[in-house]
Amino acid sequence: MNISALTKKSLALLEGVDNLEQLKKAHKDLLGKNGEVNLLLKKLGTLPPSKRKSHGKDLNNLKNQLEEIFQFKQKNLKKDSSEKLKGENIDVTLPGRLRTLGSKHPVNSTISSIVSFFSSVGFEVVFGPEVESDYYNFESLNIPKNHPAKDMHDTFYLENGFLLRTHTSPVQIRAMEKLAPPIRIICPGKVYRRDSDLTHTPMFHQIEGLVIEKEASFSVLKGLLYDFVINLFGKETEIRFRPSYFPFTEPSAEVDIKWKKGWLEILGCGMVHPNVLKKSGINTNIYSGFAFGLGPERIAMLQHNIPDIRAFFENDIRFLKQF
Amino acid sequence: MQFSKNWLRELVDIKVSTAELCEQLTLLGLEVDNYKNYQSDLTGEDSVIKLDITPNRGDCFSLLGIARELSAFYGSQLSYPNPIEVKQSIESPLDVKVCKSAPSYIGRFITKIDLNKKTPLLIKERINLSGFRSIDPIVDITNYVLLQLGQPLHAFDQDKLQGDLRVRFPKKGEKLTLLDEQKIQLDDDSLLITDEKKPVALAGIMGGLETGVSPDTESIFLESAFFKPGAIRGQARKFNLQTDASIRFERGVDYQIQELAIKVASQLIKKITGGKFGPTQKFINKSDLPKPKIISTKPSKINKTLGSNISSSTIKKNLKSLGLKVITSKKGDEFKVQIPSWRFDLQIEADLIEEVARTVGYDNLPIKDLKPRLIRPFDSLFESLRVNLISLGYNEVITYSFIDQDDAGLTNKKNDFAFVTNPISTNMSVMRPSLFSGLINTFSYNYNRGVKDQKIFEIGSVFIKKNKNIISENILLSGLISGNRNNLNWSEPQIQRDFFDLKGDLESLSLGYSFSQIKLPFLHPGKAAAIIKGKKQIGYLGTINPTIQEKLDIKQNIHFFELSLEVNKEREPKKFKKYSVFPIARRDLSFILEKDISSKSIETLIIQNSGKDLKEIQIFDVYEGKKIPKGKKSLAFSLFWQAKKRTMTDKEIDRIVKKIANSLSRNLNAELRVQ
Repeated sequence: MNISALTKKSLALLEGVDNLEQLKKAHKDLLGKNGEVNLLLKKLGTLPPSKRKSHGKDLNNLKNQLEEIFQFKQKNLKKDSSEKLKGENIDVTLPGRLRTLGSKHPVNSTISSIVSFFSSVGFEVVFGPEVESDYYNFESLNIPKNHPAKDMHDTFYLENGFLLRTHTSPVQIRAMEKLAPPIRIICPGKVYRRDSDLTHTPMFHQIEGLVIEKEASFSVLKGLLYDFVINLFGKETEIRFRPSYFPFTEPSAEVDIKWKKGWLEILGCGMVHPNVLKKSGINTNIYSGFAFGLGPERIAMLQHNIPDIRAFFENDIRFLKQF
Repeated sequence: MQFSKNWLRELVDIKVSTAELCEQLTLLGLEVDNYKNYQSDLTGEDSVIKLDITPNRGDCFSLLGIARELSAFYGSQLSYPNPIEVKQSIESPLDVKVCKSAPSYIGRFITKIDLNKKTPLLIKERINLSGFRSIDPIVDITNYVLLQLGQPLHAFDQDKLQGDLRVRFPKKGEKLTLLDEQKIQLDDDSLLITDEKKPVALAGIMGGLETGVSPDTESIFLESAFFKPGAIRGQARKFNLQTDASIRFERGVDYQIQELAIKVASQLIKKITGGKFGPTQKFINKSDLPKPKIISTKPSKINKTLGSNISSSTIKKNLKSLGLKVITSKKGDEFKVQIPSWRFDLQIEADLIEEVARTVGYDNLPIKDLKPRLIRPFDSLFESLRVNLISLGYNEVITYSFIDQDDAGLTNKKNDFAFVTNPISTNMSVMRPSLFSGLINTFSYNYNRGVKDQKIFEIGSVFIKKNKNIISENILLSGLISGNRNNLNWSEPQIQRDFFDLKGDLESLSLGYSFSQIKLPFLHPGKAAAIIKGKKQIGYLGTINPTIQEKLDIKQNIHFFELSLEVNKEREPKKFKKYSVFPIARRDLSFILEKDISSKSIETLIIQNSGKDLKEIQIFDVYEGKKIPKGKKSLAFSLFWQAKKRTMTDKEIDRIVKKIANSLSRNLNAELRVQ
């Protein structure tokens, strides 16, 4: 058993190693499971007992010595390779290859968040046409011809008796005609009024909600709208309900929130007027209903501190990008 | 309705601060728009309160009505005006004939009045604070009574009337010149006051010019009438004449207050202008007057609707405080309520329920939870498109649905237009038949403000007139891109967006669209494609025609798409498709062929010849130029095969490639260049 020859050969081999890969291979060849040192160790058993001990000791010494050299070499080689990577440094503070994301229109964002609140308590989302008839926009909602309440709706007319809906309430009627109670629907959409100044645009959005159920009461309406307002504006929001008038609800209410110093109107609501229920074929002995309507522009203006409603439809990219 | 607080306090003495009073009025449903403090030389510290009266509360267009509400809430005594009767000293020269629409007409002849007398300062101040100009004592007094009691009065110059008065509907062709000098052609349903010769007033709206009070007037006939709301409604709007009288009559004036109003006015006239008074003439047709309304209700029904637990005695007490008469009946807990003559808005039980809620206070009603109902949230197709487009860098816009007719004409023919008959301005007179105008104008607006690189989209309805009776409404998605593809950057050159940037965005949405060449007048004749889903064309995309671009003074190409989304559907759940785990074989093939053969037709042929295991085909190079013959182009394809259950061999791929080459050579005269 030529231990000194192996020692010489091993040292020579390690001398020539100059990268980590070669080192790994040399380690395997010399100290691996089937490496040369191990092969000799396995042969120890075939030697006479007198030689076994001293050879064994020599081989173990060699093994330790080689292991040490390996450790040392590995350390040095690793250092070398990181030296090399250092030369490949980049300036990480340079800007990345940016792909600008677009933006959702703030009114649509507000609509989505409101609709998703009502979806979470069981409201189905439904839509209706923007071009309507006098029947759906007024008559079916208890606003007959020449009714003074029509003055609250400055209407755009198209030819042949068509008009642009002045509120999303016609969707209520269309839904009641189509669906059987219990009904819970939420209807977002565009509405039109012949108004244009600092606080009005001739087109804006509304979200209409309707519940027709056996246990729909004014108290439940209050509970739902409290939850809604608190969800939207925070737990500390002060809310009040006050009497108002809509021809299609009775009792009718307006909901105000405390905003800065005063009260601010944010939605209208009420118990669906029995005439409206009857016209839409709902049995008023069994079912009652409530409805509410709100303006997402107004809410978006509060949420984002937007001073002028007209900004929503100017579509200045510098405005849109902020949302 | 605007008024002095001190005047109101003559009718109901409420001793609270103006701020508190206003808060309370709002909570009663009489919304205070604003109030201002006012220092009066006559009455001291005062406030002017402005209310927004809802259309149902005609009775609150007077101090008396407002005082009544406050008296009910605070439990304070209501002080009705109690004028001293002015005695008759002469006879009246005329009578009045009433009709169904005017069941009560009370008149008084007054002569020898002196219009040079001045209106007392207090009356002047009060009507001024309510927004009325002082004109002469008679007009000022009628306005004073109007504000105080809600009863419109009209004074005719008696010397200009010919014979008796009549309330009637017009005869054919009758005309009337009103106090504001407007000459109107009367309709069949315009209720009139006439004398024996001519119309002298548009009933309940405005008097005639000819018989109006003038500085020389010495004798008047004072009218205090009740006209039915239905007879007045619509007339003011038709002639565009919203007057203080018409606002009250169309909402309903107390049908029992006419006599009190004449009494109050007589006393004031006597005191201010002097004069001799005729009798108070009452022309009343009782059977045509509204009948006192009686409504039945039950506390249980009221509490069910309100979700409350208000006692029967509180309900009755509150209703009584509003002047309603409660008539107890023996049928269980049901009782009847008689509605007073001034409350035209109380028609059915629901109206009573609101009165109960209002007097209890909306904020004092309980708050209950809505029973949860669990449904799967709506997974909106539109919403997912929005998210994807935003990820692709698009800003969402919302533009007006009404557009300029010329803009509408860029994309559609005039037959398609649904016109707004009363547009807010002429450039907003057509319902948009396409989203094109909105997007191009938004682009141009921003371009002119220095934003050259834009990607914008809109989802919205468009309107097409199909025929006289049908306007179709469809929801479209449109997008527009222009400017540089990437931001100014240190590592890559800026490249202008082109047709294929837009097409790529559409393909990224992976909605299964295909494309074919089309021509549209507003798009570049050689750079426009139809968007096809299945076999149906659902939209188009292309580079905007340079002539439009030049007209807008835009110095870069603009690319636009528009497609129909039908309705906002639920997104369909995606179905998993099994994929192969075997290796992919790739071959790159380059062909030289005639320039005007479309890539699509080559691709179709390749696919036909590639067998069922072709996974993917990509065009990675298109070349025209020096290295190949004139009139030809080179197209290079990468083909990828992958079999489901085995590894494909080189030999079989070679066979397929040969087949492709033969087919292309035979059908398109294409020459295989590199393999």
